[in-house]
Amino acid sequence: MPSSLSNLRALTAAMVLLFVFAHPAAAQLSFKPTAEAVQEDKLLNALKEGDKISGRISIPDVNAANLIQPAGRDWRDFHRSKLPIIGGVAIIGMFALLAIFLMVRGRIRVDHGFSGTKILRFASFERFTHWLTASCFIILALSGLNISFGRKLILPLFGADAFSAMSTYAKYAHDFLAFPFMFGLVVMFLIWIKDNIPGKLDVLWIKQGGGILANGMHPPAKRFNAGQKGIFWMVIVGGVLMSVSGWFLLFPYIPANVTTMQLLTVIHAVIAMLFIAGIMAHIYIGTVGMEGAFDAMGTGEVDLNWAKEHHSLWVEEEQAKGQAPSGTTPRAVPAE
Amino acid sequence: MKVFLAALVFAAITAVGVSIVLSAIQMPSYVAFSTSGARVGDPGTNLVGQDWNSTII
Repeated sequence: MPSSLSNLRALTAAMVLLFVFAHPAAAQLSFKPTAEAVQEDKLLNALKEGDKISGRISIPDVNAANLIQPAGRDWRDFHRSKLPIIGGVAIIGMFALLAIFLMVRGRIRVDHGFSGTKILRFASFERFTHWLTASCFIILALSGLNISFGRKLILPLFGADAFSAMSTYAKYAHDFLAFPFMFGLVVMFLIWIKDNIPGKLDVLWIKQGGGILANGMHPPAKRFNAGQKGIFWMVIVGGVLMSVSGWFLLFPYIPANVTTMQLLTVIHAVIAMLFIAGIMAHIYIGTVGMEGAFDAMGTGEVDLNWAKEHHSLWVEEEQAKGQAPSGTTPRAVPAE
Repeated sequence: MKVFLAALVFAAITAVGVSIVLSAIQMPSYVAFSTSGARVGDPGTNLVGQDWNSTII
């Protein structure tokens, strides 16, 4: 009996001790799951930019351990809502502007008419570099636009099977034609940088609107005028941004993390839209917009009167070097 | 025209060359990002099979 009493005391003491030490923990665990549990929205909103909810995995893809990354929702929303607006305004807006400009201004003619005398404007290697970069750019632009808008615009027209096959090959073309594009970009920079340094002459050219706003006005220009220099630097800067961001997308997670990858896709997409819009203006003025301009990249030779009107100082330089015919006089302009 | 065609040919050859080189030095994504236990079939196919519209796999 004394033994039983002793056991009872020991048991009681143990229970008291257990209550005393366990009570704080018990208090911590006594939350109400329905009223005080963390709501998903509160949890996601509490995570800062770049934060992630991660778990443990055993497969080699470490990024698969990321269960939730709230910034991904912003990234998805950007691609679904903001990017189409940016792309639509830039590309459709540029198309509309050019169409209006063509209707109002009309095609820019050679004021003095064609002389029939040619002057070499671009050598074969320069034209090769231009067409290498340009042809790659067109494929990259179309396949890139397909990534951004194909699901909405092309999928309903051709169906899932055709769209899937087309998108697969377009993706291959996008990935691998990026390399000759980057090569062309580097060569283009090296061969034309010396003629594209901005100068005081460009300010005058810009003040006169490049002479394209009115007939008969032709501000002096060397080999490249301010507009062409603008295109050159847009291609170089835009091309570098596209190349660098695209390089990280070609080789994902080396060394970027998922947040950086999302930022890079945004940069890649936005620059692409602006780039495409800018090149549309370049294509317009080089073909439909200006008479005689396409010959520069077509055959490499332009009419002397065209050259004198748009690049008068360059013609003088070429004539001084003996690399251009000098006898042609602009045809008289009939009085209007 | 010759210059234009030459540029196209050069671009195509460069792209194909780059694809061959990268294919040779890079691991396929199904190897890089998963273990063999996680793969349910031969890479390039799927559980549905080649014909998505067929009821026979």
